[in-house]
Order: sequence, then structure tokens, then C-alpha cells
Amino acid sequence: MTDQGIGARVLRKEDKRFITGKGKYTDDIVQPNQAYAAFVRSPHAHANVKSIDASAAEAMDGVEAVLNGHQLTGDAIGNIICGWGITSKDGSPMNMGAWSALATEKVRYVGDAVAVVIADSKAQAQAAAEAVMVEYEVLPATSNVRDSMKEGAPQIHENAPGNQIFDWEIGNKDETDAALASAHHTTTMDITNNRLSPNPMEPRSAVATFDESEDHYTLYTTSQNPHVARLVLSAFYNVAPEHKLRVIAPDVGGGFGAKIYIYPEEIVCLWASMKTNRSVKWTSTRSEAFLTDAHGRDHVSTATMGFDADNNIVGFKINTKANLGAYMSLFSSSVPTYLYATLLSGQYNIANVYCDVQTYYTNTVPVDAYRGAGRPEASYLVERMMETAARELGVDPGELRRQNFVREFPHQTPVIMAYDSGDFAGNLDQAKAAADVAGFAARKEEAAKRGKLRGMGYSNYIEACGIAPSAAVGSLGAGVGLWESAEVRVNPVGTIEILTGSHSHGQGHETTFAQLVSERFDLPTENIQIVHGDTDKVQFGMGTYGSRSGAVGMSAISKALDKVEAKVKKIAAHVLEAAEDDIVIEGGEVKVKGTDKAMGWHEVGLSAYTAHNLPEGMEPGLKEGAFYDPTNFTFPAGCYICEVEVDPQTGVTEIVQFTASDDFGTIINPMIVEGQVHGGIAQGIGQAMLEHAVYDDDGQLLSGSYMDYCMPRADDVPNYTVSHHSTTCPGNPLGMKGCGEAGAIGSPPAVINAITDAIGNNNLSMPATPSRVWAALQQVSAAQAAE
Amino acid sequence: MTKVSMTVNGKARSVEVPDNTLLVDYIRENLRLTGTHVGCDTSQCGACVVHVDGQAVKSCTMLAAAAEGAEVTTIEGVAASKDDLHPMQVAFKENHGLQCGFCTPGMIMAATDMVSRYKAAGKTLDEPAIREELEGNICRCTGYHNIVKAIADGASKMA
Amino acid sequence: MDMSGEYRIAAPIQTVWDAIQNPDILRGAIPGCEELEKTSDTDMTAKVSLKIGPVKAKFSGDVTLKDMVAPNALKIEGEGKGGIAGFAKGGADVQLAEDGDETILTYQAEAQVGGKIAQLGSRLIQSTAAKLADKFFANLKGELEEA
Repeated sequence: MTDQGIGARVLRKEDKRFITGKGKYTDDIVQPNQAYAAFVRSPHAHANVKSIDASAAEAMDGVEAVLNGHQLTGDAIGNIICGWGITSKDGSPMNMGAWSALATEKVRYVGDAVAVVIADSKAQAQAAAEAVMVEYEVLPATSNVRDSMKEGAPQIHENAPGNQIFDWEIGNKDETDAALASAHHTTTMDITNNRLSPNPMEPRSAVATFDESEDHYTLYTTSQNPHVARLVLSAFYNVAPEHKLRVIAPDVGGGFGAKIYIYPEEIVCLWASMKTNRSVKWTSTRSEAFLTDAHGRDHVSTATMGFDADNNIVGFKINTKANLGAYMSLFSSSVPTYLYATLLSGQYNIANVYCDVQTYYTNTVPVDAYRGAGRPEASYLVERMMETAARELGVDPGELRRQNFVREFPHQTPVIMAYDSGDFAGNLDQAKAAADVAGFAARKEEAAKRGKLRGMGYSNYIEACGIAPSAAVGSLGAGVGLWESAEVRVNPVGTIEILTGSHSHGQGHETTFAQLVSERFDLPTENIQIVHGDTDKVQFGMGTYGSRSGAVGMSAISKALDKVEAKVKKIAAHVLEAAEDDIVIEGGEVKVKGTDKAMGWHEVGLSAYTAHNLPEGMEPGLKEGAFYDPTNFTFPAGCYICEVEVDPQTGVTEIVQFTASDDFGTIINPMIVEGQVHGGIAQGIGQAMLEHAVYDDDGQLLSGSYMDYCMPRADDVPNYTVSHHSTTCPGNPLGMKGCGEAGAIGSPPAVINAITDAIGNNNLSMPATPSRVWAALQQVSAAQAAE
Repeated sequence: MTKVSMTVNGKARSVEVPDNTLLVDYIRENLRLTGTHVGCDTSQCGACVVHVDGQAVKSCTMLAAAAEGAEVTTIEGVAASKDDLHPMQVAFKENHGLQCGFCTPGMIMAATDMVSRYKAAGKTLDEPAIREELEGNICRCTGYHNIVKAIADGASKMA
Repeated sequence: MDMSGEYRIAAPIQTVWDAIQNPDILRGAIPGCEELEKTSDTDMTAKVSLKIGPVKAKFSGDVTLKDMVAPNALKIEGEGKGGIAGFAKGGADVQLAEDGDETILTYQAEAQVGGKIAQLGSRLIQSTAAKLADKFFANLKGELEEA
């Protein structure tokens, strides 16, 4: 058998071009007759646009055109939409405010674009953009939920009274209230999930080309889902009909959610290409990225968890207020609702859960999915509550969790999800052993001798990936189906092309998807090519986000491989004069079991295309496709244990050990999966200790560069100990659960639980910067002094 | 406009560019060597690191004109020949030290520079030293774990 | 962002009061001021060049004198646009008190910035703005005491 199949640590096929500088990212592409776009952006968080004077800019060297929002809407370019409808408690639909790619009457956040300059060079476009004179009437602004919900707050969209977008609920309120009222012990916490900027290292970019002779558009763009981009650009934004628009997402330098959405700049580049009859390129600067890439998280919650006299959880009630920014981004409404509140039962058997969520507009950049999307917020809430409750109850935090674990599957939670598999105690045990929890007391004592406070924190996360089936997500308000497609093309020489609707922007699909084929047909991965990211090559697909490419994307490939395998066996059985059931595929051959009768794999390919000797009625060729719609979400879960040392003099915290035990179901390439976990944990540590997107009260972004937004550097993070304890997912043919987001979902509560353990104060918010940790330590000293 | 001449990856290059052209734009836009990337505009991310006269430089912080007459090496020229890979390139692949690949060229250029500097100074490039040296290079995908391993491995391969 | 300060100026209160409204004196006192023209008794237009952190920009805008209670109190307000660098606005409540032949000037100032200056220079704005406000009143004292 091939050593490149499922479970092998195959080195990545795609690496060669990246390590030699031959990767092809959008900004590397130059089209003939290419012009450059520079956007004129509002410096005000909230203002009426009184006038735009472009006369000076238009007269400048190299300027092709200066275009504004009135021209855009005049050409019937549609408003940007949110694709997931949420219904409020009272049955009313969400209040979606109008969002034009170029603002016309009003700007609603710093960075909102009002005009675009198209010029021969980047420098000319930027210079001319500075010369566009915009007169604003500045309005009062609000930058957070607390201010947006106040009476008399500035009204951001006319159709959203009090700036509220929706007021939604899930679970059973009365029963949860009753359970909490009769609880033996309750734990209540106010928990904030800090706002983050996703920061893929490649800034967004777009190159649009209008071909007048064919009325055809081509868009190269930094997208996680080029087909969704084409659909939305065509069906809703009216840029071009789908068959006249080709969207290509070439090498994409990280996404993390920020590249799911179709942004104003892509719409404007396409439209401007038509207006000027030139290719139009725009590449974001990092400063623009901070202002305009959708941010993540930004929840403020109050939660109460109740326990009976035996420490069993009896009820959990949560209120969450979420900031969705100035406009509703593509999936923004689903994040604080169906991707969040449905996971609030955690790994635990809780009979009564109730959550209500209010979302608000603020004068900040839109907030949408960022690695984990709703699930990190849920896991942070549940796991901080569990740790705090254990401290209040005076029991071991691991054991409090263990006693409340869901043990039987399937398990229906009170908040929609039906968990299909898992061994939560197995993950807890594996992590505890790897983290040497038994030796912690001695390590703490040793640290104390060095003047350090050592702490340990758990996080037993569960999340949901591969959102499906389509009919179910449709009934919850989604505007799209969440299946995936694949096509398997076996060439006459036996090499294979896999066309997939998934998109790789760092995940290594070119390797793992090839491993799946290698496993099935016992062929070397170098004979297998993965094709993705081009709407002209791959017919349709839903793209990559929500850790869906394994469980959904690879399952679609597997289904297509089933069809190819069946046809190969039919052809071989016919040629070799044997029964189909006796045909086996191995070692590059298609053989009759138990005999020496065989054809080369490539000979079967050739037979299919010469069609000289095919079974009666069989069509020539060897190409099969599949659309795969899963029957359920998948539920990756795991246990993370973090150990920290805090310097009480300064509040400086060092993570001295980070241990992970994950259940991802079937693992195709452990090397790649470990890499995904490493990266996820680093982003989670970033959220827990370093990162915070901060606006001042006037809506000015204060953390707008790498000088002020603290990205994790190499010396901020430890080495990670990563292990797996897996149960097979029954919901898809490969048994996969998804691994892309787990690290970012599971790690923040482990870090904060460790720090709060070290300092003896549960009152600590992310990011736990040295000054915050120090302040929390002072609270402890002050309380001790008062006693 | 100024005529700026330098040797890039062993080849003499000479281009007329606006006076304020940054070295990174000269490399990417004029020479079309697009392996050198731009990930920020405040000189923090390190995606644009190249070698100028044997020293790692963030090419977004230097004017092309300031590199007049210099020997410049980019990721495209770091291997001994077209068919070869530099040991640090091999180490990044073998240790899965990259995911999306965007920061990778800058990481590799910074890594080979740090190995040479430590070797020249007779210092040991251990894990804490690698982590500290990577202060000026940001990666969002890998969590640095495998980058640190790759650099240690590459350093031993460069010996 | 709020700043305040106090200066003892060796000049009579009426002289100080007149000086604060004199464009020639203001031009010399406002840090980085390149142009200042009076358009009415209380309104002026100005061009000011400022550097905050990594952002250097030339602001053009208006200076207005308000809430005048001669010769004891007034409010100076300014607002300027710096093109792509963003905008800055601020104001100072100024009180003058007679102390023999001298005058005691106290002020409470506030400033607000937006756009690129806020994005890139936020860490430095507080200290820069406090320094600029203090420099303005120190310059004013200097001009008056020289004269």
C-alpha cells in the first residue's frame, strides 16, 4: 500500500512554490492596461456627506477617473447584504441597514469609503485621493454596545430604532429560571469577549478586468470562497451576470474568516473596470486592513449557572449583547446566534439552558466571523463559568467537569445541537497525563521560591463544524446551502485531477486531498493534482470556513471517488472477464482478487477514453462529480490545560506549558492537523493576553497598526504539546470532525483560568495584559488588607 | 526620476524610478520578483526581508536609491542554483514551518541572516534566541512552533 | 484628553487680553503656525504644520474666540483638516486674573483627533497635545514679556 494515504505525515506538495518565492498571490498579478484604485475614506465615525469635490483630483497627472457612490447606485449596483436572516423574539425580522459600496448620504465608520480614484500608478491614485475634497457634517458617534443602547444615542440606521438589530432567544426561559431558583449553588459572572482584528498576513487585494468585446469580467481576489463571491456579486450586487463573471482566488495568504465576505472594494474594482475600460487593481495597506477588514468577537455577557447539592449543573442562563458594527456583514447575524448560543451546553449534560442575544449597530467597522466565529465566545463563557464555579464550590475543576460530562451519544442539548460522538473524559485524562497535573503542586511550590505565582487552568471545549445539512441551516435563516461539490477527472494516462469547491489558504488541501485519493486508489500523491479557487474550472462550491473542508469538502471528493471506483471496477471486470466484486485496486494496478489477472491503473484510464472495449451501454470517459450535503454538524472537542507563571511585581505572565488533547475524528495528515492546532492556540493566546481592537468613544480606531495592535510574536508563545484522542464522526463517510478552529476556540479560557488561578482573583478580562493582571493582584492585596 | 542600479540575485539591474521608490517596490514592481511580500506599512511584519550586502533588511524601510550599487539577495536567489534549495528552505518544508506561505520568504531570509550572525559571533542559536530574533517577523498561521523548529534544523543543516 | 496649566505673565491684564486676540501674537505663539488671518473680530483662518508620532501633516482650518468676558475669560477653539492625515480639533478655556502689575493665566484645554493621526499616533497624542498646549501658552508669555 502507498505510504501517502490517510494518517501519513506527508510533506506538503504546495510548499515548494512558497519557500522559493513562487507563490502567486493576488497582488503579484499584473494585467495589461492595469490601473490602480485608491479609496477616499471617511476620517469621521459618523457624518453626513455634504459634498464631494473631485475637480482638483481629476486634473492630476495620470488620473483616469474619480467615481462616487451616486454614480455607483446610478448604475444599479446593489447594496451589500447580510446573508443570514434572524427573527427576533417578537417575530419581527432583523433591521438590516442599507450599505452601499461607496457611501452616498452618510458615513458610519472611520474608513467608510465615499469615492475612488482610478489612476495609472499607485502613487498617482493615492495622491489624487488626498486631493478629493469631501465636506462632512460631523454627527455624534457611538463605538460600543453600552453607548449604542443608551436612550438618545446617535441613530445609525433609520430602520433600526435604538440601534438594535434584533433581540433573539434560544432555549426555555421559564424552566431555566425555575431550575436556577431551586439551585443549591449559583455562579454568576459578567464576561466580555474582546474585539479582535483577524490580520491574515496577506492584505486583501483585488484585480478586476472588464472585457468589453465579450461583456465579461474577471476578478482575481483574496477570497476563501470564490464561488460564493461570484454568486453574491452577481445575484445581489448586480455587477455582472454569473456566466459573465469569473472569480479566481489564487494563492491566498491566510483568511481566518476575514476573507469570506465580499467587501466594497471588490465591487468597486469590478464596476470601475467597466467604467474606465481598464483593469483595476487595489491592494489594501495594513492601515486600511485594520479599518476595513471585518473584526471579530465583541460580546458582553452576563451568565448564571446553577448546581444541585451534588454539584450537578441544573441550569444555565445567559444574556449577551453583541456589537455588529456599522453595517451587517455577510454572516454577521449568525455569529452571535446559531454559531454561539447553540454551543452553550458545552461538554455538559444540562437540562435547562436559555440565552437571549441583543445585537446593536455602532460606528465601527462591521463585525463578522473570525476563526471560531461564535464558538470561541461560547467556549470562553462556559469554561470560565465552570472553573469559577469549581473554585466557589471548592472542588477540583477537572472533576467538576468530569461529573457533568455528556457520556451517551447521540445527545440532544436544549439548544438545538445533537452531539453525535465524543469521549470527553478520555480527552481530559489524556491532557491531564500529558500536562503532569499530578506534579503541579510541586511546580507551584518551586515557582513560589523564585517569587513567581504559578497557576493552572482547564478548558474543555466543544464546537460545531461543517454546518449542515442545507435544509436545516436554511430553516434557521441561512441564505445559502452548506454542501460541497467535487469532481474527479481521471486522465487517459491515469493521472488524476480533483476539482473541489473548497479553497486552501494555508490549510494544505493540495496535500491532504491528494492523500485521500492516494489511499483510495493506492497511487502516489505526485500523480494527483488538486484544482481549486477558479469559478471557470470548478463549477460550484461553498468554500472554506467553519472547519468544513475535511468533513464536507473531502466527503464530496470521497463520494465522487466512489463513482469513479465503481466505473473502474466495471471496466476492469469487463476487460478481465471477471466479476466486479472480485476486482481490487492496489499497487498501481486493477486486479482480479486471488489471480494474476490485472491491468495497469493507467490502462483502465486509457480504456475509458479509447472506448474500444467498454461494457455494453457504458459512456466513455472517466470523470465523476458529487455534491455532498452532510446529515449533521460535526462536533470536535477536547481538553486544553494551560500553566502560567505570573511575576507579582509587574503582572508579566509567561505561559510555561500548554497541553492539548483534541478529538477531531479521522485525521488525514497529523503533521498538518498539529500545525492547525498550533496556529489556533497562538491566536487564542493572542486574544487572551495581547490582542484588542480598541475604538475611542468618538469611534476613532486606536489600535490601527502593528505598533498598537499586539500580534503574538515568537517570544510571546510557548511550544505546544499536542495530542489526539479521537472518536469517529458518524455523520460523514470519512469520520472527520474538523480541526481548523479548535485551537482558537479552546485556548482563551484555559489561559485566563490559569492566570486567575495564579493570582487568586476571578475578576480578570481579556486581554490579560501585565497592567490588568497587576491591577487584579492589587485588588487581592487590598481585599486581604481590609480583612 | 533616478536611475538606480544594483545587483539582485547575482544579476546587474538598472531601472529608472521615481526618487521616493522603496526598495520593496523596486524589487516587486520593477524587477517583478514577487516573492518578497508587503504585509504592513509600519515596518513590523517582516514579510519584506531581503539581504542587502549580506545583511537582513526590511525592504519597505529603505529607498531603492539607498541600495545603489549594493548586492541584494531575495528569496528567489537564496538557493545555490535554480534546481537547488537552500538548507533553510528545506528545513521549513520538512518541519512544516509554513502554512499560507505569505510570511515565509521573509522568515527564511531573516533566519539565514540570524544563523550567519550567530555563527560569526560564535554564539549559540538556541530556542530562546531564535524566538527573540523573530521579534520582527510576524506569522499568523503557524503559532511559531514549527518555524522555531525549522530554523534550528536549518541552522544545523547550514553548518 | 484634557490638559491644564497656569502661567504668571509679567504684563497687565488688559495687555494680555488684547494679545490673545491679536493675530500677529497668536501666529507667533501657536506651535507650527505658518499662516493666520483674521476674518472677523472673533474668527481667523490658519495653516498649522504638526507632527504626531509617525504622521506629519499640514492642517488648514479655523480659529474662533468665544464666550468672551473682557478682560477675564474666553474660549479659544480651533478645528483643522489635514487631508489624508485626518483632522484635529481642540479648545481651551482661558482665565485671566490680575495680580498687581502681573497677570495669572490659567487654562483647561481639550483636543480630539481623527483619521490616520488617531490610527497611527494614538499613543503619542496625549503627550503631544499636552506639550503643544503648554508650548502655546509659554510662547504667549514669551511674546508678551519680550514686548
